[in-house]
Amino acid sequence: MKLSRYSSPKGIGKKAPSAILLLLLSVLLSQPSYGGSREQAKRMHDRLAGVPPSETVLNNMETLVGSGDALGAAAVAMNNPTFYSVTLKNFVTPWTNEAQTVFADLNDYTATVIGIVRDDYDFRKILYDDILYVADPSLGLTPYSTTNNTHYEQIEAQNIDMTTDLVETTQSSVSNFPASAAAGVTTTRAAAKAFFIDGTNRAMFRFTLMNQLCTDLEPLKDVTRSSDRIRQDVSRSPGGDSRIFMNNCSGCHTGMDPLTQAFAYYDFAHDVTTDPEGNNGELVYNDVGAVDSVTGTQVQKKYHNNSDNFKPGYVTLDDRWDNYWRNGPNSLLGWDTGLPSGGNGAKSMGQELANSDAFASCQVEKVFKAVCLRPAVDATDRTQIDTMTTSFKSGYNLKQVFAESAVYCIGG
Amino acid sequence: MMNHSTIAIKARAVNTMPVNTKPVKKTSSLFLKTALGTATLSKKFIAVAAAITFLGGCTAGGGEDNASLPNTTTTVATNYTGPAPTTADVQQFKLNVWDNLISENRCGSCHSTDGQTPTFVQSDDINTAYSVVNPLVDLASPGDSRLVTKVASGHNCWLSSNSACGDIMTAYITAWSGGSGSTTNAIVLQAPTLRDPGTSKTFPADASNFGATIHPILAANCASCHSDSAATPQAPFFASADLDVAYDAAKNKISLDNAENSRLVIRLRSEFHNCWSGVCGDDADELVTAIEAFSAGISTTAIDPNLVLSKALTLVGDGIVASGGGRYETNVIALYQFKTGSGNTAFDTSGVEPALDLTLTGDYSWVGGWGIEVPNGKAQGSTSNSKKLHDLITATGEYSIEAWVAPGNVTQEGPAGIISYSGGSSARNFTLGQTLYNYDALNRSSTTGANGEPAVSTADADEVLQATLQHVVVNYDPINGRQIYVNGTLRTTADPEAGGTLTGWDDSFALALGNEPSNDRVWQGNIRMVAIHNRVLTTDQITQNFNIGVGQRFYLLFSVAHLVNVPESYIIFEVSQFDSYSYLFNQPFFLSLDTSATIGNISVKGMRIGINGKEAIAGQSYSNLDITLNDTDYGESGQVMSPMGTIINLENGPISDQFFLTFELLGTHTNVFVEAIPPTPAPPGDLPAVSDIGVRTFAEINASMAAVTGVDPTTTAVATTYQTIMQQLPPVEDIDTFLSTHQMAVTQLAIRYCDELVEDSSLRDNFFGAGFGFEQDVANAYGSGDSAAKNQIVTQIFNKMIGLPDGSGNTLTSTIDLATVKAELIGPAGTNANNLFDRLTSACPTGCDSTRTKTIVKAMCASTLGSAAMLVQ
Repeated sequence: MKLSRYSSPKGIGKKAPSAILLLLLSVLLSQPSYGGSREQAKRMHDRLAGVPPSETVLNNMETLVGSGDALGAAAVAMNNPTFYSVTLKNFVTPWTNEAQTVFADLNDYTATVIGIVRDDYDFRKILYDDILYVADPSLGLTPYSTTNNTHYEQIEAQNIDMTTDLVETTQSSVSNFPASAAAGVTTTRAAAKAFFIDGTNRAMFRFTLMNQLCTDLEPLKDVTRSSDRIRQDVSRSPGGDSRIFMNNCSGCHTGMDPLTQAFAYYDFAHDVTTDPEGNNGELVYNDVGAVDSVTGTQVQKKYHNNSDNFKPGYVTLDDRWDNYWRNGPNSLLGWDTGLPSGGNGAKSMGQELANSDAFASCQVEKVFKAVCLRPAVDATDRTQIDTMTTSFKSGYNLKQVFAESAVYCIGG
Repeated sequence: MMNHSTIAIKARAVNTMPVNTKPVKKTSSLFLKTALGTATLSKKFIAVAAAITFLGGCTAGGGEDNASLPNTTTTVATNYTGPAPTTADVQQFKLNVWDNLISENRCGSCHSTDGQTPTFVQSDDINTAYSVVNPLVDLASPGDSRLVTKVASGHNCWLSSNSACGDIMTAYITAWSGGSGSTTNAIVLQAPTLRDPGTSKTFPADASNFGATIHPILAANCASCHSDSAATPQAPFFASADLDVAYDAAKNKISLDNAENSRLVIRLRSEFHNCWSGVCGDDADELVTAIEAFSAGISTTAIDPNLVLSKALTLVGDGIVASGGGRYETNVIALYQFKTGSGNTAFDTSGVEPALDLTLTGDYSWVGGWGIEVPNGKAQGSTSNSKKLHDLITATGEYSIEAWVAPGNVTQEGPAGIISYSGGSSARNFTLGQTLYNYDALNRSSTTGANGEPAVSTADADEVLQATLQHVVVNYDPINGRQIYVNGTLRTTADPEAGGTLTGWDDSFALALGNEPSNDRVWQGNIRMVAIHNRVLTTDQITQNFNIGVGQRFYLLFSVAHLVNVPESYIIFEVSQFDSYSYLFNQPFFLSLDTSATIGNISVKGMRIGINGKEAIAGQSYSNLDITLNDTDYGESGQVMSPMGTIINLENGPISDQFFLTFELLGTHTNVFVEAIPPTPAPPGDLPAVSDIGVRTFAEINASMAAVTGVDPTTTAVATTYQTIMQQLPPVEDIDTFLSTHQMAVTQLAIRYCDELVEDSSLRDNFFGAGFGFEQDVANAYGSGDSAAKNQIVTQIFNKMIGLPDGSGNTLTSTIDLATVKAELIGPAGTNANNLFDRLTSACPTGCDSTRTKTIVKAMCASTLGSAAMLVQ
């Protein structure tokens, strides 16, 4: 085992850790048993804030729990800055990178979700609003940049209190695209670096689906949708065998490609030679009037990649998206029939996703697991998920879901 | 009013028409976008169909099997001694056609001077032969020449493949006409027989019905050749003793809907192929009866009566050939189109002697729509015939390898040999190979070694090679060296080995596809076409050939005249067999064959492709179509309905599969497409019970330790340690995944926090309270026995770490008590002789100075801070 480049603290010899370990294990084996309002309040605080409460806070929460206001107790726990800097940060971070690792720096995607939760905004905003959270300029941090993540790394390194020092702004005010092109977290720099970099922009759709609707493409495969929007780059005969396309590839691309068209004007520009990871890359957007040299339209050239793979395939001409999954088996995702099933650009497509039943239930499932430390395992849990989803849809307040989950898993 | 049932589509002419050809067809210049590129369409052209003298065989019946056959196995040279050609065109005829056909093993034994008419290879006067042959050739469309169709239908073909004879004859006539790419490819659109869809059938999986009806006839009469156990087996093995093998081979030779259209029947009735009774019609009738009996045992697929339907078509029976010209092949010296579809020979149909036919060995199969698949096999020519490559290429000093290939994967390397003219993996003349995502070109020249290295390859970063059908060209000439074009685009940089010559080429090598001749560079994939030219192709020529595509394409004319008020109206697709498993339907357009027709306004919505009585499940790329056919958009080329193409699953094969179109709306006819509402899925099953508690994760641990000790987590030493060991801390809460490595990281971080706590006088006083002698030696700081000083440390650790960070006492009932913690940390010995304090002071007074005093506090601090009291939530 490699323990890392670690310098031993002063005075601690080699003998101490082994002796300590014995104690640690003995203590670890004595599992706590919970019971009573105080222990329930302690668990709520641990789960929500990630840290043990002060005595004053615990007393307060104990009182609230004892008086039947467990939700109020949860609200107290969520006042701890670590609810934002630890719990929410780790809750969101895996959504912001392709490896889905939690070991990633704070970034604008994460901070924006944290801010939306903190300010009790409609959580659906995360997929369509022109919104961004940055550190209070009075703190004197390196300002937000479209070409690096320094600003957020400093917020994290300096342990900035995000309950007070995170302020709301707009993406369009600090980036090179208009408000109409801002689509919540999907147009943050971090998301662009992770999912618009290289490739064909399908990654942005797939990961949004995975992170915000809690499903990958595999369960959504439906070859019966029209294949009229599958781009030219998808081989219809992979390795010379069209059965693979007909039975596998088309199952995802029939629905995915017409939705991913919403991102047709976006790209993540970076120097592939000197900066292959895009650490200094930038989200770019072809606004009205911009003409891509390859496509001759606002469409980014990546949408015409490998166009010879199947010449009669679909040629992207604009950012018109359509949701073919409104019908067929994927109608079970619960689309909002009050919305049009098509539109132009990432913003309206984000609204389409955010207003689905799957979006709401996904947020609840994620919070449930984060707070209860397990997924829903039985009918009782699933009923609770349904109840919380209904509650969430009344205002899309994610803190409420955290609180309700903490109360449900309060122990006893 | 003109009312023609035929129209012509003419492929783009690259060069001018040759002189002295058959009467040039007058066409108006109307343009129709097709997959071939821009083609010209005219409604004014009337197909010349009947005025061609029938090319009689050696007997009145024309059946090669019952005739006295010429010897076609050996080549006999013939020298012409008659009058000189009177024109340049006669000279071209002589050089390209007459010289190739005059020999006894071609047509000379019958159709020469005083032979059977037509005497198109008569040897007394080439000018007379020229006049005889003119009605037999179509220089505008060589493939349609009577000379071609006759040999292609089996009339004394000198090869085992009639299609190969046809292609070679086409090549001769094409060369006469001035070379490929110079011809006008006239395509006649004829009204198909109107047929309602819905009577199609699907082959059953079980072969028993076939075994009771058709197979006995085949086994009795065809097994001497078409069986895998025959002395000289000839594929397809539809007469195999193994019923399943026979059934599988016979499927695409049988038309379930119209037995007469079955290839098995056509071979007997029309092509007189080895009729067993001596009367081919009787034999054909017997087989028709059997096929009808077989078909009768298969229930038809009922078609939904509510559908708005076009008329129905089959690809081979009703399709009008759309391909056949336009490729640039002037300098082709070896050509493989893989049309045969069976057997173990890939014929060289370049028409350049000697034919470099390739023998297929190992694991290979034929691909539908022309091609071969070589999972672990190869196609190799003889070294003697391969020598023509050496001779013809070294004569020019340049060449071009052109191929349509579909690599099976992007993981093979070696380079894996796609096309190789070599002696093995260490010596070659040229090779087109694959290394992962790259195509490689190797060429032996005066500036390289015998193995043609270093290779010129497409760039790694471009990932040009994809596991899909691609057009690849390797050009070599002394000035530019090697260049690789993929799908018409140059994909390589300058060849560092340019400037060489090919004088060192070895003429004892063999051409091989799918491997090296030495069998140690397997390439997996499909090869759909290979052409070797002894001149480089220009960029324009490469683009031209790329745009032409590969495989045979047809026009299918789906009649909709019964649905719209437009006479002779059709929705026309260009259709081809895409691979062994699907059809490509491409670029539909609406057209009336009646030139006087007006369209009005016809709404078309939701068009779907049907196959064998039902709408295809997948590949419906026109189901969202929503257009209006109208006089404004309708021109002499019709009206384009969609620029797109799609693929549809193949079911019974191109002979049997019957296609039709359905519409949600066409004119006044509607059928609302109702999609079934998906059933609500059953609730998921219960998961195994999981722990109600978990561990804090890495950031929570860090924040908790900071909260408990009061140490700022941004303190340099703490932050550095945390960043170093962060990913060794628990990443998830699941307690079942907690490992000893996690605990070691927790310990390291706890030690760092406690170190910062104890070394900072302000922090430690806040935590432990005043009065403890941190700067005293062990004896003075701790005292002896169960001292107050020891209890001060332990109590504060207990209160704030087992209890709450600012706790004045542990008020949580769910944790361990003070006595337990005290016993572990300080004992006394009477309570726990193995307590931490005693073990850490066992050497005292040696080394037990004030540093040791703080170390002991840090150890007690860390052991508690890193315990389950902090870790478990």
